[in-house]
Amino acid sequence: MNTRDAKEILLLYRGAIDDSDPQFRAALDYAKSDPELGQWLQEQTECYDTIRAKFRAIEPPLGLSETIVRKRPIPFPRDWSRIVQLAAAVLISASLTVLLMKSSERRHHSVVGAQEILVTGEVLDMTCYIANNLSGPAHAECARVCIRNGSPAGIKTQDGKVYLLTGEPGQSINAKLADYAAKIVTVKGRQTVRDGFTQLQVEEIRKL
Amino acid sequence: MSADLEFENLVKLYYRDLYRFGLSLTGNETDAADLTQETFYIWANKGHQLQKAASVKSWLFTTLHREFLKTCRHRNRFSHQPIDESAEDLPNVPANCAERVDSRTLFRILGEIAEDFRAPLVLYYMEDLSYKEIADVLALPLGTVQSRIARAKIQLLRRLNETNLPLEQAK
Repeated sequence: MNTRDAKEILLLYRGAIDDSDPQFRAALDYAKSDPELGQWLQEQTECYDTIRAKFRAIEPPLGLSETIVRKRPIPFPRDWSRIVQLAAAVLISASLTVLLMKSSERRHHSVVGAQEILVTGEVLDMTCYIANNLSGPAHAECARVCIRNGSPAGIKTQDGKVYLLTGEPGQSINAKLADYAAKIVTVKGRQTVRDGFTQLQVEEIRKL
Repeated sequence: MSADLEFENLVKLYYRDLYRFGLSLTGNETDAADLTQETFYIWANKGHQLQKAASVKSWLFTTLHREFLKTCRHRNRFSHQPIDESAEDLPNVPANCAERVDSRTLFRILGEIAEDFRAPLVLYYMEDLSYKEIADVLALPLGTVQSRIARAKIQLLRRLNETNLPLEQAK
């Protein structure tokens, strides 16, 4: 390193704030051994301090901070994950409704050939379960209200299989199922599968 | 601490620095005040997304600069002097070179430097930001920022020297 190299590096040196920056270390050491460079560096640093002080002497207009605080917007809390979950829940509910209607239209074809089975598991509020993975005793009250108010209900077995629970075509069994929300029950019913959805048309419910 | 009080404290802490940065970019007090206000407006709406509390200052400066680029860049309030990209000789500048000019004159001289060079120079002089933070604020590589600061500083010091010369010498 020579004096010119050191000067080029130290041109950016601002004093204490840059002392820990390794890019200046060697040049600063070199300046200690070169009195002329040391003098130049001192003048540079003083000049920096003067210019900084002059820049910082500029004051904003009176009342600016008060105006900023007064005009602060109150942000609407947009929890996008919650919005997406709700949208998904609405979409799923709508899809299930359409499927139920289709199922109702084709009841003679669907249910006649259905297989009667026994399923044991937890009664689910499908909307909250699919959208938010909510189930179990902690969610029992919410599930009860949701099912009573018309949300689709389901049953989840111990091995993780989920069935959509329905009544006779055209008849809702939500009022009955709401009492079993989040409880473990055995359901006897007719199973039909279409487009990946498994439905269980309830014939009998037994609480364990 | 309530959100209102937190916001008020943040404004008190940074509005001066942001205003000065805005003034150096726009050369206009009204625009600088507007930019400062807009920056805090954006903070009020999006500030909660910031993960690290330590980066608030950089975030505010980055936002102000971005807003400036959106709205003010092409107005050409200043007649900018292009900076020669070739290596410049380092000036022999006396320590008292800036003592005889006032803050307004200093801002006027600063305003004659092209914006690309002016913004890093202002952050270099006015804010206690590291070079890495300055580079982040301006979304530039570290080497580019340092090179621009060095060239802009040389130009600023030269202009200050000229301003300090007696009139007949300056001619």
